Amino acid sequence: MSEVVMKGLKKVYDNKVTAVHDVNLEIKDKEFIVLVGPSGCGKSTTLRMVAGLEEISDGELYIDGKLVNDVAPKDRDIAMVFQNYALYPHKTVYDNLAFALKLRKESKEVIDKKVREVAEILDITQYLSRKPKALSGGQRQRVAIGRAMVRDPKVFLMDEPLSNLDAKLRNQMRAEIIKLRSRINTTFMYVTHDQTEAMTLGDRIVIMKDGYVNQIGTPQEVFNKPVNLFVAGFIGMPVMNFFDNCKLLLEDGKYYAEIRGVKFLLSEFQQKALAQNNTQPCEIVAGIRPQHVTVGEGDLSAKIEVSEMMGSEYNIHARCGTDEVVMLIPTVDLTTDVSMGATVNFTTRPHLIQLFDRESGKNLIWYDEESAANDAPVCKRYDF
Amino acid sequence: METKAAKLAAPAKQRAPKKKMSKERRIRYLKDNSPYLLMILPAVLVVFLFNYLPIYGVLIAFQDFMPGDKILSDSTIWVGFQNFERFFSDPQFWPLMQNTFLICIIGFVIGFPLPIIISLMLNAMKGKKTAKVLQTIFNGPHFISLVVLVGMLTLFFGRYGLVNNIAAHFGGERYSYFLESRAFRPMYILSSNWQDFGWSAIIYIAALSNVDPQQHEAAILDGATRFQRVLHVDLPAIMPMISVMLIMSIGGLMGVGYEKALLMQTDGNLQVSELISTYVYKRGLTGVPDQAYATAIGLFNSIINVVLLIIANTTSKKFSENSLW
Amino acid sequence: MAKKEMKKMALRDTLGDKIFYTINAIFLGLVALIVLYPLYFIVIAAISDPDAVLAGDVVLYPVKLNFDGFVKIMERKDVWLGYRNTIIYTALTVILSIIVTVPAGWALSRNTLPGKKAFMIYFIIPMFFGGGLIPFYNVMSSLKLVNTIWAIVLPSILSVWNLFMTKTFFQSSIPDTLIEAATIDGAGSFRIFGEVVLPLSKAIIAVMALYYAVGQWNSYFNAMIFLQNENLYPLQLVLKEILIASESTVGGSGETILQQYRLANQLKYVSVIVSSVPVLLLYPFVQKYFAQGVMIGSLKG
Repeated sequence: MSEVVMKGLKKVYDNKVTAVHDVNLEIKDKEFIVLVGPSGCGKSTTLRMVAGLEEISDGELYIDGKLVNDVAPKDRDIAMVFQNYALYPHKTVYDNLAFALKLRKESKEVIDKKVREVAEILDITQYLSRKPKALSGGQRQRVAIGRAMVRDPKVFLMDEPLSNLDAKLRNQMRAEIIKLRSRINTTFMYVTHDQTEAMTLGDRIVIMKDGYVNQIGTPQEVFNKPVNLFVAGFIGMPVMNFFDNCKLLLEDGKYYAEIRGVKFLLSEFQQKALAQNNTQPCEIVAGIRPQHVTVGEGDLSAKIEVSEMMGSEYNIHARCGTDEVVMLIPTVDLTTDVSMGATVNFTTRPHLIQLFDRESGKNLIWYDEESAANDAPVCKRYDF
Repeated sequence: METKAAKLAAPAKQRAPKKKMSKERRIRYLKDNSPYLLMILPAVLVVFLFNYLPIYGVLIAFQDFMPGDKILSDSTIWVGFQNFERFFSDPQFWPLMQNTFLICIIGFVIGFPLPIIISLMLNAMKGKKTAKVLQTIFNGPHFISLVVLVGMLTLFFGRYGLVNNIAAHFGGERYSYFLESRAFRPMYILSSNWQDFGWSAIIYIAALSNVDPQQHEAAILDGATRFQRVLHVDLPAIMPMISVMLIMSIGGLMGVGYEKALLMQTDGNLQVSELISTYVYKRGLTGVPDQAYATAIGLFNSIINVVLLIIANTTSKKFSENSLW
Repeated sequence: MAKKEMKKMALRDTLGDKIFYTINAIFLGLVALIVLYPLYFIVIAAISDPDAVLAGDVVLYPVKLNFDGFVKIMERKDVWLGYRNTIIYTALTVILSIIVTVPAGWALSRNTLPGKKAFMIYFIIPMFFGGGLIPFYNVMSSLKLVNTIWAIVLPSILSVWNLFMTKTFFQSSIPDTLIEAATIDGAGSFRIFGEVVLPLSKAIIAVMALYYAVGQWNSYFNAMIFLQNENLYPLQLVLKEILIASESTVGGSGETILQQYRLANQLKYVSVIVSSVPVLLLYPFVQKYFAQGVMIGSLKG
């Protein structure tokens, strides 16, 4: 058993700058949790607090039920993989892997067995006598992971482990990590700024911005039910289309979303949720994912400015009044002309429209106390 | 939302034993970092013994002090600024000030731009390998000891040395350069520059090697000649470094040491070669030592240096972004 | 690749550029000549007939090869004693200075060093203000160091400049994450220093050792004021006697001076060579380290 529990974790630098506000998070045993957000959002700081590399300014951190705020990193039973690998340049791969065990005063035989076992798993046995300098980026990455593995940690911390690799290698290593996970079966905390990594690796994703946790949820949840504009914009490729200055209307007990003069009767569950909260008609930002746009029907129209044929789909940038709309249109059964310069009608299905309060940026349907981790400050627009 | 905030705030408030925790934390912090204290301890000790104890010893400048006296005791005789007043009315005062200042200012005027020019020229050389070799040659004299340097000077400029031999060959008269006060400053300054211009250039060469080659390429496309690029690309790149070095130099304008001057002093050139620092040495450690007096003179000199440095730094801060602190 | 580019550049050179490059090269060549000739002259003068040197016949090449000077210096016991002393002082200085400077530089480069700011100020003050010569002498005398080898060694084992240079080196070339990785691996501060930092610090240790060594090898002043026992004299002090002392007593008629010259002249040239040989021999091999040191120092921490 190795859960990690954070209660009101906070990091303040020099009594001035608050890097992390009040993080509350319960990581279950053997869960793979990904902290994601733009740079400077506090994700790395949070991880480093768990590692014991940063002093915790306030709050409590439990690993395996034990309060570890003031426990030295080596006694926390964690291991960490660093972004730049941080391998000891003057030691061979073997000694890099063995160092932690040596410090634990394990016997030579135990060390040797462990190191070879891990090297076998990571397929680096033939490099054991080399120095890190003689390895490629991907191999160094494996050694860094191996160094963490030999220790059989309760919690496996990874700080942007793939961001120093080129795109191809990154995809490959990502797959390796997924495989690895099934083998070593422990709790993972993984920090990245890359939402693809977050979506593909995480059991749950923690989305952070400016030191606040915005949302915690499974990949499906954060994709389908973003609690605010920031999460909606951050997760999903291409970025969600936002239509500012739209209206939520209430007519005859039915809610409608009015986007650029076109009224959409909202779906059953949206009606229910809005009614339950007793939501009043208001100004909203409407969000539509590029994947959810259909062309050739509906009353919205846009002029296509760029049309990229990607094989199975078109990636289209179109202009709808002042809004730029991105559409991802499957090529299968496409009968509409989507070439550059064409004007197309487009629409979406009402239940796929995300409705954000224009004032607070919160999702009118999905924002609730359970899914939102804490009071992230108002984010009016998705801004990078 | 309100309720949620309250919910989260509550456990925070319950963490009452905060004080105790910070104490634990402090202990852990000290325990984790005490090795650093141990590592730094020897250095602290050495600096204390050989830098700070002498600063404390400066107190004798304000005393009537005989060698062997304790610096602070019941029998200490405090005389205030008497020693300083004595120095100001010493007939040697103005000559010393003048000699010290002149050797520094002339040395500065020649010695400051020289490394900058050399570094720019080396950097603008076509063959990079040749430039490296030249740099190695230019650095060489830095490693010659002062004793050897002055020894070389006496060999070259002695009455029957190389220079006089060449002069005699062309029908000139033989000079004993070391006995001529006129020759002291040129010999002192030129030999110092000969020894250290290459060494002082390293810092600029390092800065120049960091100039982005694309800046040069852009300038070439704009039609700049190599000489124009020296002026408009290279020189601006080392300007911050020049400012810092300038401040430091001005801080040292009265700070010339005794080591070289002592070696070069002869009865013949004493009227220009006697500097504040050599005078301190002579009054304090040779003949009948007058330590309190010598210390006062040394202190006076140090204070001038600190004041000069502060003035230079403040001025620089005011007119540019560059300063030492 | 670089060569290719050079060729391309060469094609682009205008006439003005060519003139510039030529003048530049000529000027620097002259400077090199000014630097090298005195050194060269010392060598040819040392192996020429002393009378030829005095007569001014030796200018570009040795005249009447003569190695008497080297024979004479072999007989000078004081020179060899000085040599031995200097080697001892230099070795001790280097060992102690590394022990003092490198760990302190490491500690100063750590942000978690308790009271870091205070320590920095503590070390910066002596860079700009000192007690001066007399209080320094008095301190040495009350520490009972006068006339011992420790008067030469101990004050030289820490230069604050070198300390800050070491600190800057550690800050700029040892990645923080490496230390963090070692911390997580369970290494304590001393082990990290010994097993991770030191093996990666060979460059700075070499630079520091060379700086301190050259400093000690070339210094004469502390020896002059602190040592009375001639058996403790370092080489530079012996050299001073040989090279300079006679000059300041120069006086009398031209004949006497000439006589003096004849006796001592060659010995001087030879002693310059003999004393500088170790440093000069070492210099080409280590000069890149020296230069490296200055560059490390120039990076503002």
